[in-house]
Amino acid sequence: MNCILKASGLKKYYGKNDTVVKALDGVDLEIEEGKFTAIIGTSGSGKSTLLNMFGGLDTPTSGSIKIGETELGGLGKEEAAAFRRRQIGFVFQNYNLIPVLTVWENIVFPISLDNRKPDKDFIMKIVTMLGLEHRLDSLPGNLSGGQQQRVAIARALASKPAILLADEPTGNLDSKSSNDVIGLLKMTGSEFHQTIVMITHNPEIAQMADRIVQIEDGKIKSVSTP
Amino acid sequence: MNKMLKTLAGRSFAASRMRNLIAALAIALTALLFASVTTMTVGAMQSMNLTMQMQKGSRSDGDFRNMNREQFEQLQAVDWIREAGLRMPVSFLENAKRHNVEFDVLDEVQAELTFCMPQYGSVPEAADEVVASDQAIRALGAEPEIGAQIVIAFTVHGKAYELPMKVSGYYETSNSQLSVMWTGTAFRDAYPDIFRYTYDRDGEMAGTYYSDIMVKSADGLKERMEELSRTLGGNPDDMKAANYLPAVVNRMTNPAPDAGVIVITVLFAALFMFCGYLLIYNVFDIAVMQEIRRYGLYRTIGMGGRHVRKLLNCQVLWLSALGIPIGLLFGYVTGRTALPYIMEIFADEYHTLLVSVTPSPLIFAAAALLTVLTVWVSTRKPVKKAVEIPPIEAFRYVEKSTGRRSARKSAFGASLARLAWSNLGRNKRRSAFILISLALCMILLNCAGIIADSVDVEKQASWMIRTDFAVVNLVSTNNMEGFKRREEALKKETIADIAAQPGVREGTAIYKNTMDDTDVTYSFSHVEALLAEPHDESGIGSNMIETPEADSLSILWDENGIVFGLGEDKRPICNVYGMEEAALTRMDLREGECDAHTLYQKMENGEGVLVGVPLNRNDMTYYEVFDLTEIGETISVYKDGQLIKELPVLAKAGINGDDEEIGFTCAGPLRVGHDGLFLYLPAGVYQEIYDDPVIYKYSFNMEEDKRADMETWLADYMENVDVSIDYLSAQSARESAFAMRRMIRFVGGLIGVIFGFAGVLNLVNMVITTILTRRHEFATMQSIGMTQRQLTKMMVLESLYYAAGACILGMTGAVILAFTLVRGIVQTQWFLSFRFTLLPAAAVMPVLFVTAFIVPVAALRTFYHDSIVEQLRIAG
Ligand SMILES: Nc1ncnc2c1ncn2[C@@H]1O[C@H](COP(=O)(O)OP(=O)(O)OP(=O)(O)O)[C@@H](O)[C@H]1O
Ligand SMILES: [Mg+2]
Repeated sequence: MNCILKASGLKKYYGKNDTVVKALDGVDLEIEEGKFTAIIGTSGSGKSTLLNMFGGLDTPTSGSIKIGETELGGLGKEEAAAFRRRQIGFVFQNYNLIPVLTVWENIVFPISLDNRKPDKDFIMKIVTMLGLEHRLDSLPGNLSGGQQQRVAIARALASKPAILLADEPTGNLDSKSSNDVIGLLKMTGSEFHQTIVMITHNPEIAQMADRIVQIEDGKIKSVSTP
Repeated sequence: MNKMLKTLAGRSFAASRMRNLIAALAIALTALLFASVTTMTVGAMQSMNLTMQMQKGSRSDGDFRNMNREQFEQLQAVDWIREAGLRMPVSFLENAKRHNVEFDVLDEVQAELTFCMPQYGSVPEAADEVVASDQAIRALGAEPEIGAQIVIAFTVHGKAYELPMKVSGYYETSNSQLSVMWTGTAFRDAYPDIFRYTYDRDGEMAGTYYSDIMVKSADGLKERMEELSRTLGGNPDDMKAANYLPAVVNRMTNPAPDAGVIVITVLFAALFMFCGYLLIYNVFDIAVMQEIRRYGLYRTIGMGGRHVRKLLNCQVLWLSALGIPIGLLFGYVTGRTALPYIMEIFADEYHTLLVSVTPSPLIFAAAALLTVLTVWVSTRKPVKKAVEIPPIEAFRYVEKSTGRRSARKSAFGASLARLAWSNLGRNKRRSAFILISLALCMILLNCAGIIADSVDVEKQASWMIRTDFAVVNLVSTNNMEGFKRREEALKKETIADIAAQPGVREGTAIYKNTMDDTDVTYSFSHVEALLAEPHDESGIGSNMIETPEADSLSILWDENGIVFGLGEDKRPICNVYGMEEAALTRMDLREGECDAHTLYQKMENGEGVLVGVPLNRNDMTYYEVFDLTEIGETISVYKDGQLIKELPVLAKAGINGDDEEIGFTCAGPLRVGHDGLFLYLPAGVYQEIYDDPVIYKYSFNMEEDKRADMETWLADYMENVDVSIDYLSAQSARESAFAMRRMIRFVGGLIGVIFGFAGVLNLVNMVITTILTRRHEFATMQSIGMTQRQLTKMMVLESLYYAAGACILGMTGAVILAFTLVRGIVQTQWFLSFRFTLLPAAAVMPVLFVTAFIVPVAALRTFYHDSIVEQLRIAG
């Protein structure tokens, strides 16, 4: 097995002394390359905290995260940002598209920030697969929620990240759109051999993953394969 | 910059019009402030400069005189001279009445430099065409109009000429005694006889070349000009030499910058910078806070802090590019409008005051630079906030709420007032800035009001003049001249004419010694010690300078820097006045014999003299360094080196501007006796001592109902009978004090209003932001039964709280500052006497409350109806 992400002894405490909140309390986890992992758990169990930590958006109180060969704790602020736009793809519950940019611009935005040329063929392939090819010049405001989330997925995939992190990507969608989005996510994942880590509340969706990690009170309760 | 970043910056910019408008307005307002203050400063300096140049009759850098043709041609070829005018003096006209008219050949460069260009008509082309001042044309018996026919009469090289000429153009005169009539080089070519060069043989001016020059750089100008004079074969120093070729720097063109003006400018710049900071900081802080989620989003998808900074700086740059030019333009207009009010305070000192400001690049460059600096400083903190906020925090960022937040929810049912109150503390710094800018408006207005009210009109007027009227020679009202020569004396006929007017009372003529009276000198213990110091056989000591310039006396000075003008026997000539008893009665006798009548009689009997000591205008006490004698001490009077009198000091008086010369200037005494002593004698004794006693001033009171008539009569008399005189009246002295008061009110009011505007803009911005960011909250409130009316009421209340806070802060600040800083300033200025008022601050209060009411009502009308709410929807 090829391990792309390795977290060891991850702790994240908020507050001090008696009011301390242990959002994460000693998490050890390995994510296998090319696999689709689902994280489940009750509200407040620490799922988002863990995912943000993976993406370098937040720093742990103690413990370490290694993605590929890179130790996240060893990166400076600007390096972390650069690492994020090259190696991490994020998909959020509320899409997080830039409203003033068109669909196409949104998708290539992280690549353009690096002054890199977007791989047009590759991106068009994703776009077509996600059914966005006729929407490239629209503004996000004019798209439905499902379409917006598909744009967010395209953006996350466009830079060929080492890992794609999704925090309840279907949380704002009805069940039909949810199924579409997850189906597409899984399909593109296997097509491009993309590692995906996704948080979900929906047990049905979790069943579509290769592996299910359950978190409770900041600790890993179980790891299973459906 | 990265192309995508540029696209993003551009689109975001275009997407938030309202916010950009406010931000650009804030920047524009700041630029306006700076542009107006730089315009006023540069304008004031330019105007003073131009006024003084006008008085001098040239705005050149300097001039050369008495050249022959070859010398002039060589001069024109000198590389450091940018422009050289041509002036060939012919003569004064013999047939001009009551006005001196100098007739010259000029070229346009020279005419331009010496203020002789025609304002009406055109420059002379033909040999019989002339341009002159309106007054010169009248003096020749014609009306100033283009095409008027005149005859000019003059004598040169011993030959009399009488030539008919035609007026091709004319200009309005700036000097009532002397003006220039000029013709072009065609005249020179037509009359070669007139322009034969014979100066080196007989000193005839006609035929010589004069030239006013403009140079490329004024560094070391005096030395360079004198050097050139020598190179041309001239002698720049010796007046009596046949090759005398004076090279004179125009001191009016290249004066040292005035320290006072610079201090005031820096002060205002700092104040405006603060005002701009309050405003711009708030606008950007609000903008960043509104967008902070967006920055979080940018960060999560891989934008670095560097990118965010670039993005924001780019928008700041565009806003500046939008706001600054507009602000500069309006600021320039404001400054220009205000300038005449400011210049009015100089109006009495300079008779023909010219107010001028040209839109020099300096004004705009300085103002733009200051604005950019302010914008940069004010935006650093908000930008830093946006850059440094950790992405995950920005992402979940909600405007910080106070501990009262929960209370607010429960209080909803209780009262709108409490609801509004609890909103105030949402952002402390921002609220503080709104309060401060509104309060500063009140405070500044009030400070200006107090200073304006403190202008002590009577003190100022009584310092300038002790009687209702005083008539002097024109030189006495010109602070660059002063009364210093016998020929500048008042004419006996003029005094008689004035005295014969109905209503004139207590008219007294005052005699004064001049630089021509160097045969009479004085000695007293203070100078005896100075004179006892070692000196060479010609009588010059180490503390003396012998005749440094042609038009001045040798001087002697003491350890305090008090300077005495010396006479022929190297003793001080002092400033000596001869007067009648009525004039002495008006003086401020302080020590010794203080009864004016007894004193006058004793002095008439030759028993002694009255010594005047200049007063410090701040506290009206003696300046100690000028207090050089003791009561009872003897002052010895010498004439032609012989002791003729011994006069004990009988009394001492505190003297003011009127006692020294007249009102605003003491330029004359400063050049004659210099700093002392000031001796006052009865007219009879004065006439006994001086061979050729002259009168410099005629002071008189007027019956009250005749004062206005006197002003008109004098104005007419000055213009038509004796053009050499000028006068000061108590009324005009008061006018100038009132002008100063008006100026302070105007400038202070302007600044106060600008701060008020900044405060209101802050308030508008706050209200709009509140409405936009809290739409959800409002919608929720409305959905649970709050009406639009109640919503409006809540916002109005919130806004009124700001107004009330600003009033309390402003009133307190105004009172505190009044009794500290303002009183301090008032005490340093002699013409001010502290007078407290709270009226300006109080007057602002209702305005503030009305504004605070209108702003939220109007804002809610504009931004809070559904369709627009929809349009303005903020993403995310
Ligand atoms: N910035 C913070 N300050 C204090 N406590 C925090 C902060 N962020 C998260 N927490 C706490 O950490 C715990 C874990 O939060 P997290 O957002 O990871 O939960 P979650 O599993 O994603 O829940 P949900 O399913 O509701 O999204 C929660 O108890 C939360 O209150
Ligand atoms: Mg979560």
